Amino acid sequence: MNAIIAKDLSKFFKPSKGKKKEKKSKQILEKENNLICAVDNISFNVKYGEIFGFLGPNGAGKTTTIRMLTGVLKPSNGSITIFGENVWKHPIRVKQIMGNVPEMANVYLDLTGIQNLNFIGEIYGIPKKERNDLAENLLKKFELFDRRYSKAKKYSKGMKQRLLLCMALMSSPKILFLDEPTSGLDVQSARIIKQLIREYNKTGMTIFMTTHDMDVANELCNRIAIINKGKIIGLDSPENLRNLKQEYQAIDLYLINDLNQKEIENLSTIKEVRKIQDHYHIIVHDINNGIFEIIEYLKSNHIKIKKINTYEPHLEDVFVKMVNGGG
Amino acid sequence: MLFLAFTVGRTILPIYIISGLMAMVLFLTSTSIGPVVFPWETRQKTLERLISCPISIKTILLGNVWSSFFFGCIFSTIPMVLGVFIFGLWSYINILIIIIGIIIAAFAYSSFSLILSVPPTDTPASTMILTILIKFPIVFMSPLFMPISSAPLALISPLTYFIDVINIGLGEVSAFGTWGLLIDFSILLIFGFGFLFISFTLHQKTLQKRFRG
Ligand SMILES: Nc1ncnc2c1ncn2[C@@H]1O[C@H](COP(=O)(O)OP(=O)(O)OP(=O)(O)O)[C@@H](O)[C@H]1O
Ligand SMILES: [Mg+2]
Repeated sequence: MNAIIAKDLSKFFKPSKGKKKEKKSKQILEKENNLICAVDNISFNVKYGEIFGFLGPNGAGKTTTIRMLTGVLKPSNGSITIFGENVWKHPIRVKQIMGNVPEMANVYLDLTGIQNLNFIGEIYGIPKKERNDLAENLLKKFELFDRRYSKAKKYSKGMKQRLLLCMALMSSPKILFLDEPTSGLDVQSARIIKQLIREYNKTGMTIFMTTHDMDVANELCNRIAIINKGKIIGLDSPENLRNLKQEYQAIDLYLINDLNQKEIENLSTIKEVRKIQDHYHIIVHDINNGIFEIIEYLKSNHIKIKKINTYEPHLEDVFVKMVNGGG
Repeated sequence: MLFLAFTVGRTILPIYIISGLMAMVLFLTSTSIGPVVFPWETRQKTLERLISCPISIKTILLGNVWSSFFFGCIFSTIPMVLGVFIFGLWSYINILIIIIGIIIAAFAYSSFSLILSVPPTDTPASTMILTILIKFPIVFMSPLFMPISSAPLALISPLTYFIDVINIGLGEVSAFGTWGLLIDFSILLIFGFGFLFISFTLHQKTLQKRFRG
C-alpha cells in the first residue's frame, strides 16, 4: 500500500523580473519556453512505514517537490495523493496528518522552546494539559528540556533544527516531511536527529526526506530516488545503489615519466584510461587486482610512480553514470 | 502636528474634534498590523511551516484582522473618553451607536489593511512605504475636524462614514439625511467584506510567489 502517490508532477517557474520586458510582445509559445522547469513530469510511490529519500545535487528540484507534497507550492501539472486524500483538493485534511520541517525554516525566535511547541499544539487544537505534556516529552527526547524556558533566538542552529522537528512531531503525524534535515549541523545534532528519525519510523511513521548527502541517504532510507535537473533518474534501495557505486572503481596514477596508454588499456582488469592534466584516471573492473597489475606493468617498464590513489566515487559519478547510461 | 495644522485659523466644533481624532486613531491603528504580518513571517522563514499546518490562508488572514481590529477598538476609545470628558458631552452621547460604529469601522479598516500586504515582498519596510502612500492620502481626503459637506472628496474615503456615525452618536445630524446611520453602517460593512473578499483572492495568488528557491 502507498502512503504517497505522486503522478506526472511538474512545476514551472516564471523567470525572475529581469527577462520580463523583452518578453511582452512575443507569442505564448515562446513564453512557455522561457519558463524554468524545476520538476519535470515525475511519478513515484512511497510505501506505508518506509523512509523514502530524495537524493540530488543543488537545484535538482528536491525542495520544489517537497513543497508540492506538503501543500505549499501548487503543482503546474499532475496529482498527489497522501493517505488516500488528494493534497490539493483537501489540503486541510492532509495537513492534519502530516508534519513538516522545511528547508531553512525557522522557529519563532521571540518565543521560548516550550511556547513554540504550545503554539503549534494550539493550531492543531490539542487540549492545554495534553499539549504541555506532549511538548515536555518531545523536548526531553530531543535533549532540549533544560533550555525550554529560554528564547529560541538564543538557541544554536542544531538546537533550532531539533526544535523544528519537535514542532513537526507535536501533532503525532502519520507522515513526516524533512527537507535536508541534517545539512549544516554538527555531528552531535545530526546524530540525535538521525537516531530519532529511525526511532519514529520504527513506530510506524512514514518519512519522506531529501538530502544531497549520499551517506545520510544510505544510512537512513529504505528506498532512494535520485533526482537531477527535475527528473528522477534512478529509484532503488541503497544496497542496489551502493552496488552501482562499486561498479565505478578507479585508480588515479601520478607518474614521473609518460605512459603508453594503449599498452596499459590492454591489461585484463582495466576498462578505460583517461589522461587528466597531471595524472591518469584508470577505470578498473576490480580495485585490488587492478593495482597489482598496474604496478607490475610499471615495474617491468621502469616507470617511476609519484603517487597512487584509489578513487572513491562521489555522488556526481553515480549521476554521470546514470545520466549517460540512461538510468 | 497634524491636528494643529487642521486647527489653525479655524474654529471647530468639539464634536468634530472628537470624531476626527477617533477616525484618525482608529484608521491608523487598525491598519498597522495587517500589512506587516506576511512579509514578517516570510522574512523570519516561519511562513512555510505555518501554511503546512492545517489552517487555511483565510484563517491566517482572519486572525490578522482580529488582532488589528482589537488594537484599533482599544485605541480609538481613548480620544472619545477624553474628548467627551473635556467638552462635557455626557448628556448628548449615544454609547450604543458609537460602540457599534467603532466595531464595524475597525473591521472595515482591518480588512482594508490586508490588501496592503498583498505584494509578495519579504521586507516589512517596503510594505510600510506602500502603506504610507495609500493611507495618508485617504486621511487627507477625509472630512477631519470639519462638516462632511465641506470636504469635496469625502465620499471616497472610508473614514467619512465612521466620522458621520460618531457625529450622530454625539448628537449631530447625519450628513446623509434621515437614513444616514443605516447608510453609514451599510457602506462600512460593504467596505469591510469587499476588502476581505478581495484580499482572500489576491493573497491566495501571491502566497505562491513568497517561496523563492
Ligand atoms: N520560486 C522560484 N522561482 C523561480 N525559480 C525557482 C523557484 N524555486 C526554485 N526555483 C528553481 O528551480 C530549481 C530547483 O530548485 P529546488 O530548490 O527545488 O532545488 P533543490 O534540489 O532543493 O536544491 P538545494 O539542494 O539547493 O536545496 C532551481 O533551478 C531553482 O533555481
Ligand atoms: Mg532544497
